[in-house]
Amino acid sequence: MRHQISIISALLAGFLLSTVTAADGIVIDKVYHPYVQATEQELEFRAVIQDSQKYFPDDNQLYRFAYGRSLNDRWFAEIYLTGDRNENVGFDLRAVELEMKWQLTEQGEYWADWGMLFEVSKTIDENIYEVAGGVIVEKELGNWSHTANFIVEQEWGTDIIDEIESALNVQSRYRYNTFFEPGIEFFKGQDTFAIGPVIMGDLRWGMRQKLHWETGAIFALDEKSPDLTLKVLFEYEF
Amino acid sequence: MKAAENQKITKRSLCSVSVAAGKVAAITLIANGLLVGAAVAAPPVIELEIRDHLFYPAEFTVPADTKIKLLIHNMDPTPEEFESYELNREKVIPGNRRAVIFIGPLKPGTYPFFGEFYPKTAQGKILVQ
Repeated sequence: MRHQISIISALLAGFLLSTVTAADGIVIDKVYHPYVQATEQELEFRAVIQDSQKYFPDDNQLYRFAYGRSLNDRWFAEIYLTGDRNENVGFDLRAVELEMKWQLTEQGEYWADWGMLFEVSKTIDENIYEVAGGVIVEKELGNWSHTANFIVEQEWGTDIIDEIESALNVQSRYRYNTFFEPGIEFFKGQDTFAIGPVIMGDLRWGMRQKLHWETGAIFALDEKSPDLTLKVLFEYEF
Repeated sequence: MKAAENQKITKRSLCSVSVAAGKVAAITLIANGLLVGAAVAAPPVIELEIRDHLFYPAEFTVPADTKIKLLIHNMDPTPEEFESYELNREKVIPGNRRAVIFIGPLKPGTYPFFGEFYPKTAQGKILVQ
């Protein structure tokens, strides 16, 4: 069985790496987990700040504000407002995005846990649409949890050249305790090939009040990637 | 000549069929491996109840290195969340519904769990031996 799992893992990894090409703008983002909790709602804030990338302005920043809620114990819907800014341009709201996460398997039932992600977005001031779909897989090994997201995205509209892009985001985290979990994240997409340390944790108070936080510093692995990307995430779950 | 060509075509066709069958078999193997994997034998089932914001049984023993299926019936009209950081599990169970949670294989030890909505009363532990 171990041999079979190793072969399957190698095939899957090979497939993912061979098909990865790209994604416009900031590739470094949240790594999604394939789980949905029934009756859960959340408010989310994400920020990604990157520096020193060829052909991009410095201090390129992306912000996301979101509200999400589970529709049942398998589906979670979230609506985002996305804004950006850089050293030349001030903050501007850029896009509206709808995202759906689908938990495919029960946690721990099979050798890995599986889910899918679907997104559709529209820029506010331009005629640009995006639709994306992807696979989420998570494998627990002792106190380590390894997660991979493989996303394929189609962009179209009169203000953009139509193209298909893809990205691979991977996270390995050590479940040290509920307040603090160190980990490492890896990102591969258009003009981005980067890796770096992350830390995350949960703060709880009252009945079903939880603040999940994550932050990390992601460093370039090639010349095209931004030298440094800082990321921050807060999710207030209730 | 025609027979030789036919033979070639037949060989080529068989080859394509064989490659196609091989691909299907590989895809099936991967799909089975991905979805079924180690879950070949059905895991032992342990049933729990949530009543008046308490777990019944609140303490039970399971064998080490074995995957276990917990079947939790929430008899209360209000939802409860089975939670355990040690087990790496978190699952909301709506009122008057049931939920399945897979745990393990676990090393010997004690693994506490609690109900996040009523953590003062809904507490329990799993002894793994």
